[in-house]
Amino acid sequence: MINDFFNILLPQGCLTIFILLQLLIGMFASPKFHKYARFISLIGISLSILLLSTVQTEPQYFAFKNSIMSDSYTQLFHFVILLCGFFITLLTKKLTNTFKQSSYTFNALLLTAILGALSIVSANDFLTLFISIELMAFPTYFLIASAKGYHSKEAAFKYLITSAVSTGVFLFGVSYLYGITSSLNFTEIYEVLSEGEPTLIYSFASVMIVFGLISKLSIYPFANWVIDVYKGTETSVLAFLSTIPKLAMFGILCRLLVFPLSLGLELPFIIAIISLITAIWANTYAIREKDAKVILACSTSANMSYVLLVSALVSVYNLSTVIFYLLCYVVMNIAVFAFLNITEYEDIGFNVANFKGLFHKNHSLGLAYTISVIGLAGFPITSGFVAKIYLFSAIVNSGLVFIPFLLALLILMVVALFYYLKLILPMFEKATVDTKVLKALYSQKFVLIITTAITVLIGAYPEKIIELCRFVAYNI
Amino acid sequence: MDILISIPFLVFFPMLASFFIMSPLFTNNEISIRRFSKSIFGFIFLYTIFLLVMFDTANPFISKISFFGLDWIQALGVQFSFKIDGIGMILVLLTSFIFFISAISSKMNIRKNHKFYYSMLLLLMSAILGIFTASDMFVFFMFWELELIPAYFLIGGDFSLETNTEAKKSAIKFVLFTFLGSMVMLLGILLLHYYSYMTSQTLTANFSEIFTERIPVIIKLIISACFIIGFGVKLPIIPLHTWLPDAHTNAPTPISMVLAGIMLKTGAYGIFRFNYQIMNDVFQIFAPVLAIFALVNIIYTAFVAYAQTDIKRIVAYSSISNMGLILLGLCAFNQIGLNASVFHMTAHGLVTAGLFMICGIVYLRCKTRDINTLGGIASNMPRLFGLATLIVLASIGVPAFAPFISEVLTVISAMFSNLGIVLKVSAIVALPLLIISSCYMLKFLHCGFMGEKQEAFAKINDITTHEFIVLASVVAGLLLFGIFPSALLGMIG
Repeated sequence: MINDFFNILLPQGCLTIFILLQLLIGMFASPKFHKYARFISLIGISLSILLLSTVQTEPQYFAFKNSIMSDSYTQLFHFVILLCGFFITLLTKKLTNTFKQSSYTFNALLLTAILGALSIVSANDFLTLFISIELMAFPTYFLIASAKGYHSKEAAFKYLITSAVSTGVFLFGVSYLYGITSSLNFTEIYEVLSEGEPTLIYSFASVMIVFGLISKLSIYPFANWVIDVYKGTETSVLAFLSTIPKLAMFGILCRLLVFPLSLGLELPFIIAIISLITAIWANTYAIREKDAKVILACSTSANMSYVLLVSALVSVYNLSTVIFYLLCYVVMNIAVFAFLNITEYEDIGFNVANFKGLFHKNHSLGLAYTISVIGLAGFPITSGFVAKIYLFSAIVNSGLVFIPFLLALLILMVVALFYYLKLILPMFEKATVDTKVLKALYSQKFVLIITTAITVLIGAYPEKIIELCRFVAYNI
Repeated sequence: MDILISIPFLVFFPMLASFFIMSPLFTNNEISIRRFSKSIFGFIFLYTIFLLVMFDTANPFISKISFFGLDWIQALGVQFSFKIDGIGMILVLLTSFIFFISAISSKMNIRKNHKFYYSMLLLLMSAILGIFTASDMFVFFMFWELELIPAYFLIGGDFSLETNTEAKKSAIKFVLFTFLGSMVMLLGILLLHYYSYMTSQTLTANFSEIFTERIPVIIKLIISACFIIGFGVKLPIIPLHTWLPDAHTNAPTPISMVLAGIMLKTGAYGIFRFNYQIMNDVFQIFAPVLAIFALVNIIYTAFVAYAQTDIKRIVAYSSISNMGLILLGLCAFNQIGLNASVFHMTAHGLVTAGLFMICGIVYLRCKTRDINTLGGIASNMPRLFGLATLIVLASIGVPAFAPFISEVLTVISAMFSNLGIVLKVSAIVALPLLIISSCYMLKFLHCGFMGEKQEAFAKINDITTHEFIVLASVVAGLLLFGIFPSALLGMIG
């Protein structure tokens, strides 16, 4: 037991200690020191990243009666989640400044959500998975509600309701699967099921489980929350919401699709159809929108639908493309939200018309933001371009049946380009007297510049990262 | 001397210069920015002439960038490789020349945001040189997409003193159309790449190593159709052409020169590279259909051009018409057709750059492009009138100028084509209809320059030395290739 802990759980354990530390200090520390809460979180996350090196990955390691596992795949996802957590914590300064004493609680909640995300990826058991999802979801409600004003509370409540419903659907599917196999462990379920023919009830259960998981990814049946929640949420929390839950959910969904849910033949088609519906809905919804947050909500939904489509067509090659696309996507997304975080606290608002002329007064920040948005649209010298062709090559490799889907997605990319252009074009218009010189904190600048640099570097030299993704995908 | 031949240098040097101009290190002084970038363009032009001198049709230049010994994307077999063969050499030379003269003519037209303008112009040049030199499908596609970013800002940017609200709209239209085309093209590239890998078991995206023989015909037809739609937007083939007149009319004059002179040729080059060379067996099925489209291009847009009142729109529509001629040459699918097509790319590139330059000069002086209000400026501007007459004569295919050779060759190639009656008929139809081009071009010259002297245009000046040099060099090029066509034709292998 203790061995298991030291072999694979040290990063999570470290995060837990820092959560408790935050709460303890929050009780006793003087109100003056509230701004140091962020640094405690940063230290915790950095230590966890360092402790990732102690985790045993070769060969796959199963711990706690096979309920938790670790391999290079979970290792990579853990690293990316922690890195995103690091960047997001840097972005929260302006938000936590308004809370004073509660900033310790805020940081504890953020760390808890990250811990939940880490546990989701390393789950090897539906019960562990369910608890981890809740561990990530509960702090998220409070994080969303943390901003001032009515809208954030409304957003939190909407997210709560959708999550509750989807969790219900998920548990429903899991109960059927338990009924068939009398086990909750992924490996055991896979072993039991692969002996016989898949039954109708198995297909039903697997569809339910997938539907339960995709609500966090804002895919069609549970996609409606995304617009309202994004509208009401503060941007640094939004940077969290659009990256870490996505990474965690794809981390587990890919494993589920490769092992316990891989036996039914209908599932890929059902997933392909719902992701196509999502892509059409999200891309067309954003055409008329003028709110940057709503446009990014649609962009998140659309991007996730592309990735989901590919991850449903299970193969090792496809898995590597999914991982690479997710890596590139989260980095670009954090850069975009870092810029919006700067503008939010300069009272510029989120209407894209208000960005008018910002580039001419803020060259480097504007350029970094433009590169990130262009990357999301999939233009070259950014990682988005490489990720796009790599992801779509996976659909081509999966057979002629999916070519119409690919054609539809490619045409939707043109629609997507239209709304991405709306995000950046006002910046290049003529500056007026009202155009502000943005006063950004060092931490915000740091996040924006670093993430943009990563985007450009991966775009210019993607080979090493792709190699890593392929290695990880082969070892799942 | 071989050590001096470097294609990556040719492609990436303008890009680096662009970043240098853009960076805060470079001064924001108009004159130094202009002189610096002009010298870069001039240097690249001289460098391509050097490459031309060193060029040998039997041994095309080949080069490859490796990243610490690795390919660019090994999972897809993508190598960052370049190759310049005869056609590539001609187009690279044309690119560097047109960009050089458009940079010279920018002095009069660009009044604001010099830093942004020149860095974007250099970036555009880098992307287009990349398109003409890439020898890997994905690298080609990368440059194809990269070109859109500077092109958008150059068409829709805020560079002249008066504000043009239409420019932004037409720039967005241009970007969305081209992006649609390139997305369909991406589907074709991915399918071709995958099926080439499946049938030959070698993972490659290199033009010369792509293996198409064992791909099923139906897949080949789909792939070819994807490429034709993708490049047809850029070329443009008729139903996909609506972005062109708007973009060319609203762009600043130097950009119109680049758009019509070079950027349309990337579409024709793509059809040559992908359809004509790689998918050559299926191209024979498509060629008669495309020939009909080419004919529609030639005839329909010629009539539309005749009906225009804006002189820039006349030239824009005439470009579409001429691109139809280039397409017809490719569709003939024989050596003469290929020669004619590439020759016409060069000839039309020069002519259309000259014509847009004339439109820009007239608009700068008279503040109008309406053919009904213009007129009577010939006596005030004798030098411009003389050069304009020469360029217009060249464009309608008068002997001793380059377009004459290519038009005749195109019609001959269609006559001698082995691909059935459709091409022969299209040759017979195209020949008399080339006369329409002389109708609208002479209308351009007649209504634009001649006629009664007008009060409003009494005080305008003749062209400056800058403008004279640009137009005279265009005329010189047209005469050179018109009198010694073998200088070009010898290079097309």
